[in-house]
Amino acid sequence: MSTAARSDNALFGMWAFLATEVLFFGPLFFGYVHARLAQPDAFVSGSHHMHIVLGTLNTAILMTSSLTMALAVGAARKGGPPGRWLGLTALFGLVFLGIKAAEWVMEFGEAAGAAGGEARFYFLYYAMTGLHAVHLVIGLGVVAWLWRHAKRFDAAYHTPVEAGGLYWHFVDVVWLFLYPMFYLLERYSA
Amino acid sequence: MTYVLTWLALMALLALTFGSSYLPMGAWNSVANMAISCAKALLIAVFFMHLRQAGALLRLAACIGLLWLALLFGLSWTDFGTRTSSPAPWSSR
Repeated sequence: MSTAARSDNALFGMWAFLATEVLFFGPLFFGYVHARLAQPDAFVSGSHHMHIVLGTLNTAILMTSSLTMALAVGAARKGGPPGRWLGLTALFGLVFLGIKAAEWVMEFGEAAGAAGGEARFYFLYYAMTGLHAVHLVIGLGVVAWLWRHAKRFDAAYHTPVEAGGLYWHFVDVVWLFLYPMFYLLERYSA
Repeated sequence: MTYVLTWLALMALLALTFGSSYLPMGAWNSVANMAISCAKALLIAVFFMHLRQAGALLRLAACIGLLWLALLFGLSWTDFGTRTSSPAPWSSR
């Protein structure tokens, strides 16, 4: 089998895996829609406790990490070393996790005392951002592995960088939906 | 260059979604937020994840998960959405 055909197979495998990931996150998104339609006011007041500046900053950081990941793949395709871009990607990912962890700690008091619909809001918030963070930690492991082996990749062989990139971008996309769902509810009435 | 332009578009959309949440539009706020998130996801899928250059197989694989998600959302909603209007015979309510 040619290298190109093997690369296509590997990328197909990653896309198929990402399809299962969509369904893995899916029930939590459905639960969110159901709970929010049942108690919309509780979700708005829960959302007003979120730290919108940190959440927006984190969104920008994660999107920037996707840019550096894409640049790593672009560099590998041209035969240049992707190491520098992979390092930056990991750095942005770590900063995102640090900010997220700080938010979790700050919100915990509020969450622990919440009742009714707001308790459900916080449950979904911790479950969904938590599951997202687990994925990001795995993504960091992948990027670290790629970084360590960066010298192996050249213009002819860089499938792992491409496949790892797909995973990293997927995790970014999940966050792009979580951000408005938790941070941006009726901000004008806050 | 394409990557940097994509990133600039993502940042502009982030500013748009952030800013629009301070305009009182009622339910349309959520519609706008979800539409912007979908636009961002599409930009990432097409340019960062290279679906633009990908063959039919990869494009299909990328869409199929969303298709299944839509089916399962639809099936779940036919259940939860009709529980009060047409309760099951054995339901206590």
